Amino acid sequence: MGIKVVNITKKYKNKTILDNLSLEIIKGSFTTILAPTGAGKTTLLRIMAGIEKATEGKVYYDGVDVTDLPVQKREISMVFQEFINYPSLTVYENIASPLRVLNKKYSKTEIDEKVKQIAQRLKISHLLKRLPGEISGGEQQRTAIARALVKGSKFIFLDEPLGNLDYKLREELRTDLKTIFKGCTVIYATPEPVDALSMSTHIAFLNAGKIIQYGQANDVYLKPSSIEVGYHFSDPFMNMLECNLVKNDKKCFIKVGEEEKFILNSIKFENRLKEGEYIIGIRPQDFKINEEESDGLSFKGKIDFLESTVSTVTLGLQWENKELVCINNNRDFQFNVGEEVKIFVNFENCFIFDKKTRKLVIANGEFVSPTIEN
Amino acid sequence: MAKIWLKNIRYVYGGKRRKGAEALKGIDLVFEDGCAGALLGPSGCGKTTLLNLISGLLKPTEGKVFFNDTDVTDLSPEERNIAQLFQFPVVYDSIDVYGNLAFPLRNRKLLENEIKERVIEIAKIIGIEQFLRDNPRKLNAGQRQLLALGRGLVRKDTAIILLDEPMTQLDLHQRWFLRKELKKIQQRLNMTMIYVTHDQYEALSFAEKIVVMKDGNIVQEGTPETLYDYPNTSFVGWFIGTPGMNIYNFSIKDTMLDFNDFKINMPQNMKEILKGRTGMLQLGIRPEYVRYSKEEAKEGFFLTKLISIENMGYFKVLTFKVGDTVIKGKVLREVEINEGQETWVSITEDEVNLRIYENGVLITK
Repeated sequence: MGIKVVNITKKYKNKTILDNLSLEIIKGSFTTILAPTGAGKTTLLRIMAGIEKATEGKVYYDGVDVTDLPVQKREISMVFQEFINYPSLTVYENIASPLRVLNKKYSKTEIDEKVKQIAQRLKISHLLKRLPGEISGGEQQRTAIARALVKGSKFIFLDEPLGNLDYKLREELRTDLKTIFKGCTVIYATPEPVDALSMSTHIAFLNAGKIIQYGQANDVYLKPSSIEVGYHFSDPFMNMLECNLVKNDKKCFIKVGEEEKFILNSIKFENRLKEGEYIIGIRPQDFKINEEESDGLSFKGKIDFLESTVSTVTLGLQWENKELVCINNNRDFQFNVGEEVKIFVNFENCFIFDKKTRKLVIANGEFVSPTIEN
Repeated sequence: MAKIWLKNIRYVYGGKRRKGAEALKGIDLVFEDGCAGALLGPSGCGKTTLLNLISGLLKPTEGKVFFNDTDVTDLSPEERNIAQLFQFPVVYDSIDVYGNLAFPLRNRKLLENEIKERVIEIAKIIGIEQFLRDNPRKLNAGQRQLLALGRGLVRKDTAIILLDEPMTQLDLHQRWFLRKELKKIQQRLNMTMIYVTHDQYEALSFAEKIVVMKDGNIVQEGTPETLYDYPNTSFVGWFIGTPGMNIYNFSIKDTMLDFNDFKINMPQNMKEILKGRTGMLQLGIRPEYVRYSKEEAKEGFFLTKLISIENMGYFKVLTFKVGDTVIKGKVLREVEINEGQETWVSITEDEVNLRIYENGVLITK
């Protein structure tokens, strides 16, 4: 049960936005459609909600075909990036408005009860008598979300609802949304990896009109199925290094650049890995600075860029004409541009992708079996 | 190049008489020559108004604007030699990148060979020299912002660069790219650059001097370290940092601090500072200094429920709850801990990192 879209294609003139895409949203899940800008996530959301029609394909709600059902007849709510409220109605009336137009008639006390309950969940009880123009952006978006929640819709669609908010409001609402939506079926579209990772139970990664990976949030994060997912599902982005896998009688090692040799446990991988070109993906936070352990890769280079926010330092390291980015949380480290440092990453934190197929081969030190894909 | 000096600035939208539309309420501020500065604050704090007063788009209702020691209050934006970046890059798509950079110089009737030399010099600084003969549409959003910046830099007399939330339209990767390039350019040219943002991350990572604003006033100015470690008000403590500082009201009951939902013994180093205080007291602690334990531990720990764990990639945010009080903790991602667990928490374990506020003002050193 939940939402199922089958073989959805969407074309504008000659341009294909969504390309024969299928996806199932599990009831009660918080599913994030994570995608780089322009990949088609808003279009997909609108087709699922019934605001837009697909060129081809079917949409099912709880097993029922709703492809041709108009949006008014679907039990859904949608929240957009722009805060959409009725400017002349109070916050209270804005929240109550969906209840007044439904076929089911609610009594005055029922409405009052529901509005107050939702307002409390969204921490806007003290604002009920105000007009949208008299409250902050974050409070306006909370009002819009309360309105989406009040009628108890089956499915709630959120299209980058935090996009227009100040940093701090975004941070606060992000934390609250996770609690507010517990138990609801939520479909959330965003390009921000941190939003996806911190809030969702499931993630569908959309790229060039296709879902290229779907799974539980943590699984997708720990096993990004391809270079595209790995690169985007990381903040800052994943370092990608070309390498060669070489085998001789007893050993199996990876050459990164000229000197680095990275010996793999040959017994473990011998028969499953072919010689050839691969890409190693390393998230910036997985590098350790001036620390070295045995089983991993180290790089020595000069710092060419430093960014500090007091509690974290982000370094850009020049290594063989490439820039490696790493993040450090240790305030005691003092770095300077031009300084030479050594960074190290454990083998377990390296993602190894096949260069030709772009698919993940090794993660967490283990050979990866193919994940669910469309 | 120039120092910026704002002297007793007031700005009222709609003229002097209107009350309630006072966007700036008496600002005194200096940005030294070559300074990487930031104006940071929530929507409506007056930061953009202040930027527009520096650029000359607005004239102050009261007060003066000086560049170095010259009064520029009555000068137009053109006369002030300022370059400004906006949320949307101002770039002409009808001419190539070279033409975009040459445009301000052609307007000034410079010789073509002089123009060429200068355009190439600037293109190198902003890192788009390989695109000179391309249409700007070929550039990504971050590079388009750099091109807009280049058009401001190309005039040799540009004194100040103003950046008005230049990252708004960019995605994560382009934001990283532009942050990096802007910082390099600032360091290389040593120009006064003022960055306006609501995003504390951008302000902390760009600026050496940050001015935090709220409701038309300056709340605090200082280095990123000062603002992070010694926020002078509970507002700054909350506004700076991800998540912000935890702030709790408390009262003193004999030797105990009473936080309503929990009580703890008064830490040693606070006895002196709390003596005789009668105002509203608050304790501030950054999430990374909150300590927790799965078992009943030492003195100072109290029982909470861990209600949420947010994975932020390189760290996790833990949300503990005791009664109605929410406590945010921050841990490295390796830590194993489960949602819903009963957890013992201490907010006073790290005594040196505690901050005490009386009536919203910092009283610890």
